[in-house]
Amino acid sequence: MNESESGHAWLSLGGTASLGWTERLRRFPWSLLLLLLLTIFFGFGVLYSAVGGENNLWLFWRQVIQSSIGIGIMLTVALLAGEKIFRRFSYMFYFGSLTLLAVTMIMGSVGMGARRWLEVGFFRLQTSELMKVALILALARYFHDHAKAGSLGWRDLGVPFLMILCPMAFIIKQPDLGTAVLLAGVGLSIVVVAGISWKVLFTLVIVLGASMPLAWNGLHTYQKQRIITLFSPERDPLGSGYHIIQSKIAVGSGGVTGKGFMAGSQSQLDFLPERHTDFIFSVLAEEWGFLGGVTLLVLYALLILRALLIAEMANDRFGLLTVVGATMLFSVQVVVNVGMVLGLLPVVGVPLPLISYGGSSMVTLMIAMGLLAHVSLYSRQHGRSV
Amino acid sequence: MLDDDREQFRGDARRRLLLVGGCLGAGFLVLGGRLFHLQVMRGGEYRTLAEDNRISLKPIFAPRGRIFDRENRALVENSPDFEVVVVPELAGSLRMLFKRLSRHIDLSEEEIKHLLQQARRQRSFLPLRVKSHLSWEEVSSIEVRIHEFPGLDLQSQSVRYYPYDALACHILGYLGEPSDGDRKRLSRITFRSGDLVGKSGVEQHFEELLRGREGVLEMEVNAVGRHVRELHRNPPESGEDLRLSIDFDLQKEAQEAMGEETGSVVAMDPNTGEILAMVSTPSYNPNQFIRGFTHAQWQALSTDPDRPLINKAHQGQYPPGSTFKIVVALAGLATGKLDPKEQVHCGGFLLKEEQRFYCWRRHGHGSVNLIQALTQSCDVFFYKLAERLGIDAIERQAHKMGLGGVTGVDLDSERAGLIPSRAWKRKMFKASWYPGETLITGIGQGYVLTTPLQLASMIATVANGGTVYRPSLLKLEPGQVPDVMVRNHFSAHHLELLRQGLEAVVHDPTGTAAKARPEGGIRVAGKTGTSQVARHRREKSGQIIKSTNEKLQDHALFVCYAPLDRPKIAVSVIVEHGGHGGSAAAPVAKRVMDRYFTKYGSGA
Repeated sequence: MNESESGHAWLSLGGTASLGWTERLRRFPWSLLLLLLLTIFFGFGVLYSAVGGENNLWLFWRQVIQSSIGIGIMLTVALLAGEKIFRRFSYMFYFGSLTLLAVTMIMGSVGMGARRWLEVGFFRLQTSELMKVALILALARYFHDHAKAGSLGWRDLGVPFLMILCPMAFIIKQPDLGTAVLLAGVGLSIVVVAGISWKVLFTLVIVLGASMPLAWNGLHTYQKQRIITLFSPERDPLGSGYHIIQSKIAVGSGGVTGKGFMAGSQSQLDFLPERHTDFIFSVLAEEWGFLGGVTLLVLYALLILRALLIAEMANDRFGLLTVVGATMLFSVQVVVNVGMVLGLLPVVGVPLPLISYGGSSMVTLMIAMGLLAHVSLYSRQHGRSV
Repeated sequence: MLDDDREQFRGDARRRLLLVGGCLGAGFLVLGGRLFHLQVMRGGEYRTLAEDNRISLKPIFAPRGRIFDRENRALVENSPDFEVVVVPELAGSLRMLFKRLSRHIDLSEEEIKHLLQQARRQRSFLPLRVKSHLSWEEVSSIEVRIHEFPGLDLQSQSVRYYPYDALACHILGYLGEPSDGDRKRLSRITFRSGDLVGKSGVEQHFEELLRGREGVLEMEVNAVGRHVRELHRNPPESGEDLRLSIDFDLQKEAQEAMGEETGSVVAMDPNTGEILAMVSTPSYNPNQFIRGFTHAQWQALSTDPDRPLINKAHQGQYPPGSTFKIVVALAGLATGKLDPKEQVHCGGFLLKEEQRFYCWRRHGHGSVNLIQALTQSCDVFFYKLAERLGIDAIERQAHKMGLGGVTGVDLDSERAGLIPSRAWKRKMFKASWYPGETLITGIGQGYVLTTPLQLASMIATVANGGTVYRPSLLKLEPGQVPDVMVRNHFSAHHLELLRQGLEAVVHDPTGTAAKARPEGGIRVAGKTGTSQVARHRREKSGQIIKSTNEKLQDHALFVCYAPLDRPKIAVSVIVEHGGHGGSAAAPVAKRVMDRYFTKYGSGA
């Protein structure tokens, strides 16, 4: 990085808090949007097959609409908001979300053995989705406000850990292990980039590892079952092992080039469970083979790379940490979902970003992407990079 | 200062970002590697698993071969058996449906309850069998109303049908569930659940011919087993039809002639060994095995002391009685130990080693030669002849005429009968052969056992001049050479003498079987026999005290062939506990022969 050049960029903007419209459009990270659109369109192809083509076309069109709304939200977040707005309202947003989580626990509606939704008028609000964004912003704000030279010790981390653990407790209680793990991953990555001392990080990892057996006892039977099943799916091939076995068969049988569009027997003949939501990657891998699977992984990797570049160019800690959180929200879901489909991780009900059918996760992700673009837009070092 | 802080922060943040990015990169590499492992390295393996998932093989049953008599009258057919099934997911309320259905078919409250339970256990798109073996009334009643019952379907499957019920049941046999023994014996066949297999008769013997080869339907199925489409069909090969040597008219006549009696009739073409009729009584209805028995019915059938499930023609073993004298006579002539003109005195008994061997006629026959001895069935004559021949010569002759071993008929589980010998006795009783035993063997009593089929084959051998054919239940193709078991070269002169005696049995006023004389002046050669069931008590005078218990009465036997000069039919009859061969068995043979000659004539 050339410091003088960056200083020049800073001066040339004159510290303006807001940009003109032409400037906003010029500074918008179009390559990020392009990668997103590519991935989303790639997803449409897979989803069309996963819902069974003509038979359930309405699902496909709903996803097209949901994705369009998502893009709209992303553009809104990125282009309309002023530079400081997210930092200003982050705590309020966080506490609002936490309250909603508490309300959900008391009066939320139950589905599939979990209490996750709040009936708001005509639609169901999954309050944990709000918390994902809220936690990112709140943590970023905290470390921004409490900036400190040198690395962060236990004393500095008490409040952030509490901020992470509170919503996690609610969400584990729902129970929704996938989202809880996601929050932990996102939170931890923010803490790491914010400057946690290596000693503390190391201790933390040890403590977490040691408390595994304790955590095990706190799990629901079905959660334990999923973890046992992961390691030996053949123990219960028709019960909890069924998902993993069928998913592995689907992926494996795809081979190098796949069975072709709409031609995957595992996908089309209902052997794959949840094939348009959590297990959509199996459909892709079966019908498009190794080439298709790797293509999607490369698209994701490019997106993540682009996002990390934005982080690197952020003006301040808040921007940097927001981008890190948003990127991790996205990446952890990719890794956990694909790992689950490939039988490497337990089945934890995490959708595949941008591809899986479903509105709420799409909206949350696009808000995160909007935040990414927003940070990029206001970056004073913008000129240096793509 | 501020810049320094920012600078330091930036440097640190970049390092930390690198760590996060590195972690993610590692994660992606693991995912890519796993994808490579599953898809590229183990792809073939998983492809097989996916195919196994996808394809369901459904057997298509091959129609079993039908069975005809020698004139192509169907004795065994496959008839459609209708069952009514319902696909619950199309039917709406099953309870209502069954209620309405019970107006048209016999469906009890109990059965409905059971069906509803079953419906809860199986997937709702799979057809549920409501009732099988529908009557024609039920079928037509449902057929016209089928549109009133959504989801209901009439399905037909092919079941074995024996149009004449019990007639020829022992030849045809019946079907049943394969036993372990069947599975072992027919190891080349893969049995499926619900598969039936021949349990007796030709159904059993020709199982592999009749069965054909099942076809395969390859269906694509989805995860819950619903059929999506047909992928490939390998059509079944139907079983071969059998054309039996049986003449149905003759079979029917023989069956009717036996009436309520227990026993067996075998009629055979003496020139080929083809069996024209084979009756065993009492009989059973093979259709019952398809429809199923109640426990009581099965008990009654399987424990009946008259053993209706056994084919007595090849599984019933009886002492041949005087019919065996044919063998002894031929042995005497062949060995030269009997001069045809020789006169033997019969005084009613023969004294041997201080033991009296009685003739059936207590006053004796006076002086008799061979022909007279055969005509009147004089026991003393044959005691003496047997004594002179010795057991070894008798045994040899019996084997030459197909006795004492299986005939090789096209039926399973044939019994061999028994021709006793010194070696046999030593082995069985650890005792030597007594001369007295030779004497009673000479009149077909004692240890000798034969099946009615063996006796038919024996008299056929006499009829054709010495060839023992393998009795065949399949009609010979034109030009097909019959199987020969033993080919003897009996002297024409000896045979002529024997025939004269056997003819007199039927046609001489002193003969024992006048009741076998056919209509229309056809000449018959025959021999009666009476085989002892229990040793009768005798008074000092020799008068037999006949038991009044029917089960202790003697078995009546008769063997014959006709016409005398150009034999076309050989018959053996045994009537269990029938008393005398001449009175109980000969009339049965006469009816069979009469039927034969009215149908075919007696000419060449």
